[in-house]
Amino acid sequence: MSEKHLSSQFDSDLTAVSTKLMEMGGLIETQIQNAIQALTQFSVPLAEEVIQTEDRVDMMEVAIDHALTSIIARRQPAARDLRLLLSISKITTNLERAGDEANKIAKRVKSIVEGGEARMMPISDLRLASSMAITLIRRALDAFARLDLEAAVSILKEDDLIDQEFKGFTRKLITYMMEDPRTISDSLNLLFLAKAIERIGDHAKNIAEFIIYIVKGTDVRHSSLTHIESVIH
Amino acid sequence: MTQPTLPEPDIAALPIKLSIQDLSFYYGKYRALNHISLDIPANHVTAFIGPSGCGKSTLLRTFNRMFELYPEQRAEGQILLDGEDLLASRQDVALIRARVGMVFQKPTPFPMSIFDNIAFGVTLFEQLSRIDMEERVEWALKKAALWDEVKDKLPQSGASLSGGQQQRLCIARCIAIRPEILLLDEPCSALDPISTGRIEELIAELKKDYTVIIVTHNMQQAARVSDHTAYMYLGDLVEFGDTEQMFFKPRRRETEDYITGRFG
Amino acid sequence: MRNEAARRARFLRRKWINRVALTLAFAAMLFGTFWLAWILWETLRLGFESLSPALITENTPPPNEPPGVGGLANAIWGSLVMVGLATFIGAPVGILSGIYLAEYASRGGLAMTIRFVNDLLLSAPSIIIGLFVYAVMVVHMRQFSGWAGAVALALIVIPVVVRTTENMLALIPAGLREAAYALGAPKWKVIIHVTLNAARAGVLTGVLLAVARICGETAPLLFTALNNQFWTTGLSGPTANLPVTILQFAMSPYESWQQLAWGGVFLITLIVLGLNILARILSRNTSS
Repeated sequence: MSEKHLSSQFDSDLTAVSTKLMEMGGLIETQIQNAIQALTQFSVPLAEEVIQTEDRVDMMEVAIDHALTSIIARRQPAARDLRLLLSISKITTNLERAGDEANKIAKRVKSIVEGGEARMMPISDLRLASSMAITLIRRALDAFARLDLEAAVSILKEDDLIDQEFKGFTRKLITYMMEDPRTISDSLNLLFLAKAIERIGDHAKNIAEFIIYIVKGTDVRHSSLTHIESVIH
Repeated sequence: MTQPTLPEPDIAALPIKLSIQDLSFYYGKYRALNHISLDIPANHVTAFIGPSGCGKSTLLRTFNRMFELYPEQRAEGQILLDGEDLLASRQDVALIRARVGMVFQKPTPFPMSIFDNIAFGVTLFEQLSRIDMEERVEWALKKAALWDEVKDKLPQSGASLSGGQQQRLCIARCIAIRPEILLLDEPCSALDPISTGRIEELIAELKKDYTVIIVTHNMQQAARVSDHTAYMYLGDLVEFGDTEQMFFKPRRRETEDYITGRFG
Repeated sequence: MRNEAARRARFLRRKWINRVALTLAFAAMLFGTFWLAWILWETLRLGFESLSPALITENTPPPNEPPGVGGLANAIWGSLVMVGLATFIGAPVGILSGIYLAEYASRGGLAMTIRFVNDLLLSAPSIIIGLFVYAVMVVHMRQFSGWAGAVALALIVIPVVVRTTENMLALIPAGLREAAYALGAPKWKVIIHVTLNAARAGVLTGVLLAVARICGETAPLLFTALNNQFWTTGLSGPTANLPVTILQFAMSPYESWQQLAWGGVFLITLIVLGLNILARILSRNTSS
């Protein structure tokens, strides 16, 4: 948003709410990172930290929603301001859900460690997908801060990679379970974790779609990549 | 898990500039205001909204005793400015008006130069040297965000300015005599959206130094510029509260019907 | 269903009526303008013939002089002095009364009475005013005088100026006054600096129109200043003036006098025209 509004208060309100969103994004990013680290190291304290962050995330979500209602009630935003505010509201929801996934991972890690089955799990297979998911969330937030269309499109493309990775992983787990039914319990845990990571990637993708919506005003959810690229260029 | 909540703003905790107590107003025998009581906080913007004829302008015109120009109009009750009752005051009404400035619906530049438009009010209360007066005029025009546009044409007639500039000239003229309260009676209703935006931005600036009270028929404007909003209907004060709360979750059903356009 | 034919017939009928009305109005306008143009043309034609430097440098000649001898200098001077004096007396009184009516007593019995009397005075035939001044001044002083003439003219100026001043002040929007009061200005300052200032051009226009009117007034001067064949320095005796001189000369059988009368008519027309144009310029400047 380069050009200023006549009302500097409006400008600072918009900046403030965007900043809050970025703050919340940063918190979610750390949460996901910690959750993944808790998973790779089977660290209960890290998992606890992730779970405890949840309250702060909820607080921020409420605060952002409140700021949004206040701006909408007072300013009657139009055009890209309106799109920005609507998108911030939805991005907040997506971030909060991504945080929920991190939470789920942390809780599952806790229960795995407490069940004493930790060391036997082939979690290294999740490493690629999880690092991709963290990167995607970070890049989605960066792209939002700069309203960068190109970055948004590349996120959409990369989420497809995570999805493929997830499919391949699922197939692998099915093979494991068929070969050796004793791995079923571990495999289900892994499937659950993989699903959470895949969901985080989906939320990053949704955020990228809202960036396109803010800048171009076109709703690209449920559209093909070729259509999205034609919208942008 | 505890439900996160945000603190609700509390008007009563703010220092009060103008306290209206049991104020009624009559046009001849017709009662236009019914026992209005409310406290207006200092250094905030308070907006009065309501449908035409609800008495919001009438109320505003009691604050500087403007109604006394018309013999058939009369006010009952108390209006305390920093604790001193304006209606009962033995003070010359001119001195009250120097403390409580007013800007009107239509821009009203006086038929004189831009400089004299501002100097006129100042000379009523102060004897300034030419240099001091020039300084004061510049100060007022800067406060009103008009200086850059008129600094090269101060000797020109005030009528030569655009509508929005004229209205800012009127605001400058008003603050040049250093009032404590600024009354704005639908100050943007004759202006285009851009000029309106400028004035609204100016209002946000002015509340740092003045207590601003604005009457507007445009409730979106009230939402944009004010900290507190009072909704009036048929001479009654229906609701008074924090603007944000008023436009998000008003306490009274009547207020909600009005601000959501379900009125009448 | 709409009846297209009937609609069209009604439309054509309206169009025809419109054309007739337009033609009638245009014809009426032509009729009026025709006479006005003729009067102006005759005045200019006959007056132009008698124009010479002598017209404004020499006094009125005795009868029977050959045409071209003598001028109207004493009459022009007398008129100028009396009109000037009448404006000097009448304009301030008129403006102040107008201010009183518009600003101080806009409603109320006294104001209504004053307004009514003023309107009476405004429409009173000027001969009545002449006769009145004759009765109260000329009879008492036992002499026709320029003073009496000036007073009679002033009495004509006053109601015109009162009316225009009041109307012009009433046109000033109440918001402007309120804005000045809202700054804490006292009433007299509001009136002088704001209201009167805003109405200045209108008030001046009123004065100019009043002057234009008394330039040609004959009847009140007949009973007051009368006339004089000679240059007068004071106003205490009968004083020469253009309108009465024109009357006297035009009615006379002498050709030289008749010619001078046309010269006088030309001069007065010119002055009135000039004043009207000035008034028009003034009022245009305010409206823009």
